[in-house]
Amino acid sequence: MSGSAAETLFLVFFGAAAVWFGIVVFRTHSMVRSAIALLFAQTAVGAMFLVMQAEFLGVLQIMMMASEMSIMAIFMVMFMMDPGGLGAMEMTHQKRLSLKAGGAGFAFALGVILLGGWGPAAQEVPAAAAQTAALGRELLGRSMFVFESAGLTILTAMIAATMVAIAPQGEKEG
Amino acid sequence: MTFELVIVLAMAAALFGIGIYGALSQTNLVMIMMGVELILAAALLNLVAFWRYLHPETMAGQMFVLIVMTVMAVEMAVGFGIAVARFRARGSVEVEEARELRG
Repeated sequence: MSGSAAETLFLVFFGAAAVWFGIVVFRTHSMVRSAIALLFAQTAVGAMFLVMQAEFLGVLQIMMMASEMSIMAIFMVMFMMDPGGLGAMEMTHQKRLSLKAGGAGFAFALGVILLGGWGPAAQEVPAAAAQTAALGRELLGRSMFVFESAGLTILTAMIAATMVAIAPQGEKEG
Repeated sequence: MTFELVIVLAMAAALFGIGIYGALSQTNLVMIMMGVELILAAALLNLVAFWRYLHPETMAGQMFVLIVMTVMAVEMAVGFGIAVARFRARGSVEVEEARELRG
């Protein structure tokens, strides 16, 4: 099997897995299962990055999503009245409209993909080490302002989230 | 036109559609955030595919991916902060019970 055929096969496999687990997120009644299905969907997306030879981003995606979805599962158990989904509670509204909007978004994107002229594909990709070095130079060179802004944004979000989440002074817990 | 690029973009379009459905149809704040995460995952896939199949020599594409990952982390942090505040005030994170925010 040639390299390109194997790449196509793995892209289809992991892409189908990501889409399937994405559907499972909203089909299961159990919130914990939803969080785990989203973790698998994001991991499949990370695997697609690896197939596309973006090793650093692939590993980053898998590591970040593993921790993020674990936190999400904990929050699910904390906040839900029925995290296990044993009561099969209905937790959706405007289902028909949502299906139409999702379908329209998919159809529109697919139309753009099929009608767009993408030009010839690049065959060669820099080696993993060369990519990481070039990305480092990009982040600390031309894109430094954007990169630093992202860091500042995360810091601001951390402070804002903590301030929103802590109990107001004088309010008793419980 | 490259076949692999079209495959990845089509998968991303499917994830985008599922994410829109989830963000619009769910009544729970955390589930809505899951829909938004799927939409952002679709954006990530598009960015990596454009980098890989159109401009692998330009690292700005990978830099964009890092920025979208930052947006995902910020969305989670702020979303959970609001969820904790809402749960503390009302004992629930159902968005349909937040009608009083309209004033």
